[in-house]
Amino acid sequence: MQQQSIFVLFLVLAGIATIVFTYIFISSKKAAAEEKGMSNPLKKRFWFSLILFVILCIFITATIPKSPYYLFADETPARVIHVSAIQFQFILSEKAIDPENPSGESHIELPINELVEFRVTSLDVNHGFALYDSSNRLITQVQAMPGYVNRLRYKFKDPGEYKILCLEYCGMAHQVMRSSFMVN
Amino acid sequence: MASIKLNKITSVWIISVLLLFIVSIVLGILMRLNQGEVISQSPITFYSNMTTHGLTMIGIWFVAGMAAVNYIMERYVKTSYTVNVLALVLTVIGILMFWASTFIGHFHSAWTFLYPLPFKEMGSETWATLMFLGSLTVLGIGWLIWSISLMTQILKKYSIPQALAWQHLRKNPTVETPPFILISMITLIGVIACLLAAVVLLVLFYAEYFSNGNFVNDALLMKNLTYFFGHTIANEMLYLGLAVIYELFSEVSGRPKWKTTWYVALAWNCTLVFILTAFFHHLYMDFVQPQGFQIIGQLASYFASLPAAGVTVFSIFIAVYRTRIKWSLTNLLFFIGVIGWVIGGLAAVIDSTISNNIVLHNTLWVPAHFHTYNAMGNVLFSLGFFYWFSIQFSDKTKVKKSTTLTLALLLIGGIGFLLAFYIGGAESIPRRYSIYPSELSIGASLATIGAAFASIYFIAILIFFFNISKRCLKILFSSS
Repeated sequence: MQQQSIFVLFLVLAGIATIVFTYIFISSKKAAAEEKGMSNPLKKRFWFSLILFVILCIFITATIPKSPYYLFADETPARVIHVSAIQFQFILSEKAIDPENPSGESHIELPINELVEFRVTSLDVNHGFALYDSSNRLITQVQAMPGYVNRLRYKFKDPGEYKILCLEYCGMAHQVMRSSFMVN
Repeated sequence: MASIKLNKITSVWIISVLLLFIVSIVLGILMRLNQGEVISQSPITFYSNMTTHGLTMIGIWFVAGMAAVNYIMERYVKTSYTVNVLALVLTVIGILMFWASTFIGHFHSAWTFLYPLPFKEMGSETWATLMFLGSLTVLGIGWLIWSISLMTQILKKYSIPQALAWQHLRKNPTVETPPFILISMITLIGVIACLLAAVVLLVLFYAEYFSNGNFVNDALLMKNLTYFFGHTIANEMLYLGLAVIYELFSEVSGRPKWKTTWYVALAWNCTLVFILTAFFHHLYMDFVQPQGFQIIGQLASYFASLPAAGVTVFSIFIAVYRTRIKWSLTNLLFFIGVIGWVIGGLAAVIDSTISNNIVLHNTLWVPAHFHTYNAMGNVLFSLGFFYWFSIQFSDKTKVKKSTTLTLALLLIGGIGFLLAFYIGGAESIPRRYSIYPSELSIGASLATIGAAFASIYFIAILIFFFNISKRCLKILFSSS
């Protein structure tokens, strides 16, 4: 899972940073007897910066094309779900939602392995529209912003119940703002 | 040399910051205990405390950095004592107004007060939003005057190109710009820019508030302004701390003073560009934001690490590696703080990757990374300065055993407290939830563990508070 890989990557990088700093700290303690300092510091600084620059460029090149804005951009969605967030509930509907008289459907079923587009907006404050799978893992999200419609595209790979949680702080009942739908 | 008046007002800043820090940590621990279901607060109390905790922390560590920079700047240029006092008075008034809005008025829109939530809160007093906006106005005016005053003093001695060390980009510069002046100048430009954004933001809030529904703001513009202000000020306070490190690390270590070179000048000028554009990463999940801005957000966030690591961190490596260092609590705090800054930075770069952000945004990964470079980075930079300042006028002491114990408590408490956040982020636990739903109950367990470790960190801070404040009170009430 993506989050686990991210966590492991972070632990490895944090561990390397800690080891390097500790090694450098200990080297200064040992220098009490004989001080040597760093040889060719300018050259080492250059190579350190260049290597870091190359690593950053590799990561940028590898990750930016995977940004959500480009995923499924050329495909036509099989289903469109309109979402209006309002303190403290999500209204979901297959039809466009009237902001003056918002209403939705209580039960939504979505197809597996087909492209679904959520058209997400808010009728009051900013909300988050975050989808959690049946193992309670955050799989994707988008913001619900008043006056704008954000289009989130996703292909569900597993059947089951998916939960929607609000991930943008929206007031006193933010923590209970939720909904769900089925994927079959 | 700093004047007696400057010593006294710096002492007041230090004692005030540490006192407010203690209150804010207590609020933070209460929040984690509530999330752990060890105590039970109403959601409004929880979110009011969260708002108080967030803005107080941002405010105190910003002014701590400013007070330190103001103090050291006196070595190079004359600073205004009157403005320093004015900033203190307005900060105290602003904080009191802000606390009234949250503790009495139950304002609870979080420190980011994302438009239009302050107008659509439920359960708070009707005057609370206006009081909150008023408190921000007072704080903003005080800080803006202070920043402009410090910058003006720099520009009385150095021209703009000199203050930005552009002459160091050529061979054989005739005028030398000390690194402290360069970093202070770069940081003050960023601070003034983000405070001006806050002015625009507040004007737009007031315009809608007093328009009786005739004027409505654009939510996307307001969000961009909010994060340009919020992200930038939260980062600039770190750079204020770095300015102090550039000045003091070599001094307290008994090493030659750091000099500005072409790569130091280049790095810090690049930092200014990156710091002013990285805020776009807060809007990755707003797909209606122009995509060019989203890409700029990732590029700026990534490349901001290059001057930081290649120049500042590497300079620390060179200063310490196989070098006879006179270790004291001051440079130890600086050194450990740089580690916290780097590790928090690594987590931040991971989160600033758009394809990662989609599963990390607004989870506990966010407080995890910013608490790393604040609680274990910036706070340590300021504590290093506070300690250095406080011992100048008393008998200097070497690192004692009790100091080692305090540092151990700080590290153990800090690491445990942060790991609970990171694991929560990896487990998809949302941030800013007063309690967690049953299917995310691991969030409650992690919160309890986090609170326990935060309490250990808190004990270390209390020890620092008593030791540093005792000396600062002596400075405050001494006649010389």
